Amino acid sequence: MHLIIRATGAGAGMLSHLLAKNPNNLYDRTEKEARVRIVFTASSEEVTEAVIYVTPDPVELVKGDSQAHNDITQYINDREFVTSSLFCTYIRAALGTALNGKPKEAYVHWVKEPLELALSFGPVASNLPDHTVEELFGALGYEVSLERGDAEYTFALKARSSARYIRLKGKQTLQTALQQLFVLIPALDDYKHYYISDDEVDKIRRYGAGWLEQHPQRALILKRTLRFGGAIRQYEEMAAKELRTAGGGPGAPADIPVLEESAPGGSAEPPGVQEAPKVRLNDLRYEAIARTVGELDERASIVDFGSGEGKLSARLSSVPGVREIRAVEPSAASQLRAMERFAKLEGRTGTVVPEPVTGSLFYFDESLRGRDVMILCEVIEHIDEHRLDRVMDTIFGQYGPKTLIVTTPNKDYNTVYGMEQEEIRHGDHRFEWGREAFSAWCSRWTGAFPYAAEITGIGEGSAEYGYPTQMAVFTRGEQLQ
Amino acid sequence: MTEKNEAQRTIPFPHGGIIVLVGPSNSGKTTLLRRLVEEGVLLETEMVSSDTYRTLVGDVEYLDWKGRPREEADILYSDYQKLSGLAFEAMNTVVSMRSRLGKLTVVDATHLQPEYRRKYIDIAAEHDLPCVAWVLDVPEQTLLARDKTREQPRGRQRVKSQYSQFKRSLRGLREEGFDFTYMLKEPEAVQFVRRDNPLLADIGAGIDVIGDIHGCYDEMLELLGELGYAAGEDGLYRHPAGRTLVSVGDVMSRGPRSLDTMIFWKRHFDAGIARMTDSNHGWKIARYLSGRNVTLSHGDENIAAELRLFEEEAGPEAAAALKEELKQFLLSAPSHLVMCRDGVRRLVIAHAGIRDEYIGRQSRRVQDFCRYGDTDGLDAAGAPVRKEWYTGHESGELIIWGHDPRPYPAVVKNTINIDQGAVFGGALTAYRYPEQAFVSVKAHRDYAEDPDSPLIRWERGRFAPPNLGKLVNGYSVFTDAYGELSVRGDYVKAAVDSVSHYTVPLEELVYIPPTMSPTPSVSADESYLEHPQEAFDYFRSQGVTTMVAEKKHMGSRAVLLLFRDEQAAVSYIGRPALGTIYSRTGRAFFDRETEVQVLARLNADLVQAGYFTRYNTEMLLLDAEIIPWNLKARELIATQYAHVAEAAKMDREHLLVKLRQAEAAGRDVSGWVQEMEAKLHSVQVFRQAFQQYCWDVSGLEGIRIAPFHILAHSGQSFFDHSHIWHMEQARQLAGISPLFMETEYRVIRSAADEADVIKWWQDMTEDGHEGIVIKPEIFITKNGRHMVQPAIKVRGRKYLHIIYGIDYLQPDNLKRLKQRRTSKKERHALMECALSVESVNRFIRREPLERVHECVLAALALESDPVDPRL
Repeated sequence: MHLIIRATGAGAGMLSHLLAKNPNNLYDRTEKEARVRIVFTASSEEVTEAVIYVTPDPVELVKGDSQAHNDITQYINDREFVTSSLFCTYIRAALGTALNGKPKEAYVHWVKEPLELALSFGPVASNLPDHTVEELFGALGYEVSLERGDAEYTFALKARSSARYIRLKGKQTLQTALQQLFVLIPALDDYKHYYISDDEVDKIRRYGAGWLEQHPQRALILKRTLRFGGAIRQYEEMAAKELRTAGGGPGAPADIPVLEESAPGGSAEPPGVQEAPKVRLNDLRYEAIARTVGELDERASIVDFGSGEGKLSARLSSVPGVREIRAVEPSAASQLRAMERFAKLEGRTGTVVPEPVTGSLFYFDESLRGRDVMILCEVIEHIDEHRLDRVMDTIFGQYGPKTLIVTTPNKDYNTVYGMEQEEIRHGDHRFEWGREAFSAWCSRWTGAFPYAAEITGIGEGSAEYGYPTQMAVFTRGEQLQ
Repeated sequence: MTEKNEAQRTIPFPHGGIIVLVGPSNSGKTTLLRRLVEEGVLLETEMVSSDTYRTLVGDVEYLDWKGRPREEADILYSDYQKLSGLAFEAMNTVVSMRSRLGKLTVVDATHLQPEYRRKYIDIAAEHDLPCVAWVLDVPEQTLLARDKTREQPRGRQRVKSQYSQFKRSLRGLREEGFDFTYMLKEPEAVQFVRRDNPLLADIGAGIDVIGDIHGCYDEMLELLGELGYAAGEDGLYRHPAGRTLVSVGDVMSRGPRSLDTMIFWKRHFDAGIARMTDSNHGWKIARYLSGRNVTLSHGDENIAAELRLFEEEAGPEAAAALKEELKQFLLSAPSHLVMCRDGVRRLVIAHAGIRDEYIGRQSRRVQDFCRYGDTDGLDAAGAPVRKEWYTGHESGELIIWGHDPRPYPAVVKNTINIDQGAVFGGALTAYRYPEQAFVSVKAHRDYAEDPDSPLIRWERGRFAPPNLGKLVNGYSVFTDAYGELSVRGDYVKAAVDSVSHYTVPLEELVYIPPTMSPTPSVSADESYLEHPQEAFDYFRSQGVTTMVAEKKHMGSRAVLLLFRDEQAAVSYIGRPALGTIYSRTGRAFFDRETEVQVLARLNADLVQAGYFTRYNTEMLLLDAEIIPWNLKARELIATQYAHVAEAAKMDREHLLVKLRQAEAAGRDVSGWVQEMEAKLHSVQVFRQAFQQYCWDVSGLEGIRIAPFHILAHSGQSFFDHSHIWHMEQARQLAGISPLFMETEYRVIRSAADEADVIKWWQDMTEDGHEGIVIKPEIFITKNGRHMVQPAIKVRGRKYLHIIYGIDYLQPDNLKRLKQRRTSKKERHALMECALSVESVNRFIRREPLERVHECVLAALALESDPVDPRL
């Protein structure tokens, strides 16, 4: 990770003074387990060039939270090489004088003097497209050129390198140029921070003063540096307060563009044909199931299989007559979110708090036997067809709920969404059945076990294609009760 | 309920439970107890007295209200009632606690009212203990005389009233529910004795527990022969070391020679060299022989037939005598046996199982449980549905049980089922303790010929989904190689998540390749992190004399389960398939289309070469490495290795140019330039290191599968074969299909061999190959009781760049990296190896999915437990 600052033309010789470094000496310090070095390749009045580079200790760098990342990728990673917030932290002390604009008295007037600068830094690990990178710096008046790394391999691996090198050219004061880099280098970097401190917000505000407010990509920059809504809002409030105390002038509060929630450059959802109806359909499904459950004579105990984040279970929690809901889900991550959802139901009258249960359809859990209602809401289509029989055998033969509710997409209806014949609604769907296939499948089970099935539809119906979701309600016959 | 009268000279104490003294004040209760303590048959702590508790609770034993004015007497009486009530509450709490521990407690109080006695009958029943009444029936005159000499006399009127109350209460006493009632008119004349608990026995010279025999007499004798028992002159079978035979019951019914078998056990029991527990069939026959009206079914009718035959041959007298003998023998069979060593319970033998809280106790409930197990009503066909009581066993003893046949001894949570359905054509099993070994004899034929026999039902239920309750909160697996090993609930949950979402179906997940440790010590050579020498030293220190070194391919680990034809797969994985290929995390190795192609090709080649016929197998299970690396790891290579290489190269190339410029400009940076040159070289090595393992693949072209363990064929695993054999088999496979490739290997016996292997390793790794794996000649090698690492990997210097980083060889970095610790990795390697061997063995024995899966899930759970992934 390195930064090369080259000044040419008038005042070029001032560069070393502004940096407060003797160009004839080598700068070599250890900063937070990293070696920070500066050397001048030229130092004349016409051209002065400082090379700043950092060598972190690779062994120390990967120490620490090894428990959190049980993965070799933690050890082979680009943090040691790419310019990132880590790089800025390492070099901040070495460039302190220039960043703060506090050189020796004799050179203070040069602080505000724009110089003819060439800034080269890298490697950069960023998923931002070239044009966005160019825009980020172009908007600040730099001429930008990008260089890609060497991605020639003995076998077909990648079209181009994921390492980039950035060269900027422009007239700018050294202080502003460095402050811009200290904001934009972390913004470019892909590394995901899990925590943003208040200092970080303050730093962006200070370094961004005078240019970030008006930057056309301001939203993107904030999104990528501060990451979290809370930190961004905190910044906004600070910036607004500052402008107010500054008393109007260019960039009064009204001029601050309103931040949009979604940032460009992020992974925007592809414009899926079914996106719009899907959201609504989920709610309709929950409603339909809740209504069905509410109308059952026996509905005290419910098992919600594949309960995911617990939305359906939470919806059922207020259905009168329901006394117990088991939300069965194998994924710990989903279950955690479900538990947060369920915690909010605590203490509400007329509401039963669902119980999260670790489990899946591929195992048998004795505690799920003989319940009133078992629900498979959009679950079966995620199971390979050849495994489904065994799963249903267990449900009908071992668990034997009084009522079993199954919902699954209606493939016939995909035509209404304008989908191709072979297209499926979700990448993980192992199959999607039309009405005939679903009905035949239901009949197979009612033939094998003492259940009767009634099939209905959920969503906006079409005369020709039925409903987007099909729902079967299996009711156990008297003979087993 | 039995009543024993005065004539009875000796009265035995129960082994635990409650003795309720019944008698008015002055009847001599306390005196009797004091005498028993003095005689040493009763402990001070075994008796509780209401007088003592009144003192403990209220400082006084008695409140005297007689002779007081009416108002005062009322108050004192009420105080006394209150004190008494609380004293009883405290005392009964202690009685309850003692009962929970199975202790004996004698309650010293008058107990004149049935409701006071009832309390103790209930407490005892709740804890499956007997409740006994000792009734001190002393004449009124004696009572009155004694009262006068008392420190705090109760007074004539009170004594008289108590006496009449006592007499009234005696009438219904027998129906109150005491297990025994003893009437003591002259307690001084009675002897009280403590007997040994018939449920307890010492392990002595060792025991051999025999599973359900069901009249398979010939098989039983064969098994005894295998166990080393031989018939003496008296016709009794004895073990030269003086071991004891124990039967889990059900020695009779269904099979051909029930009578002989029963007689055998009775005679050996009488001789004190065998024991037998009660059982469902045993109890049924006992009642039949007692003349009860019982319906003989489930093979019990065979005994009636055998008895008729006996009567015809030996005459009615002999038959009656035999029936009486057998009846007594069966009725006296204990519900279960607790075998101790140094007074500590080690082994519990119970026919159909036992709950922890029943161990060492006798009650009808305990007897029923031990006979029939945990029955939970009846299923649709009227057969009892068994609940899995053994999942609740936590108290540490090893419970041996039978009753519920399964094809192989089933070990669950310190419980072992040894009923292998001999009478259904299965096997008769013996469990040896303390050796913890199984010996079994195959049944000569299926005697029961039941089309719905437990073994047949077992086979039908083989693919039933595993019971999550047994697993999800953590559990242990008993492995042959490692013994018991436990996995934690949170890691199990992570594994359950993975199995529910990502892996191939549970039935196909039969083996998880175990992890492998690098050398426990880092290289003594300062320029190496790993070196073969340390592997040799490790194995030599463990007493290994012959080692096999195998070249390690750098690709992706894969398990291949291949079937002779689609139909052959059905009995193994429950569906027709040519096979399955999955990664070390259990996920499908290839996309579906490629998998179909690979399986079809392998199958065609193997069938063409006559492989399945030659080895008479329907199945071939292989552990292999599939190359090239990019086949599976392309994304990882691109985003991690290549990306890092590109970044490092870019950084260092630019800097090198600038540093050289600085040097030219007169700066004193020659050291920095050299350093950067070296670092740029490291980048080149790193960049080449991973490209070495990658090449372009088109279709099956370029894919190579290098098997190194031939895990199993039908009914046979090969963990007992030397690695030389495995390597030779792999070579043979390479000759059969172009998809297979052989693996180079060397055998190490001498120091010269070691030097040769080091040279081989150096050449190959300098050339960029990953390295070698060194194994003891035999898979599972033990040093004393401990497993030796089944394999140690020694990776090359170049390869390790992609593990430890581009600059790992810089002396300062290497020095620190050498401080690595491998103990957790080694432990995991041993456990995972034991689990993988266990799961394959269970799989080829066609044990239920649940039994195979518990090993697989445990291995996956261990993999969720983080270990430094660079090791």
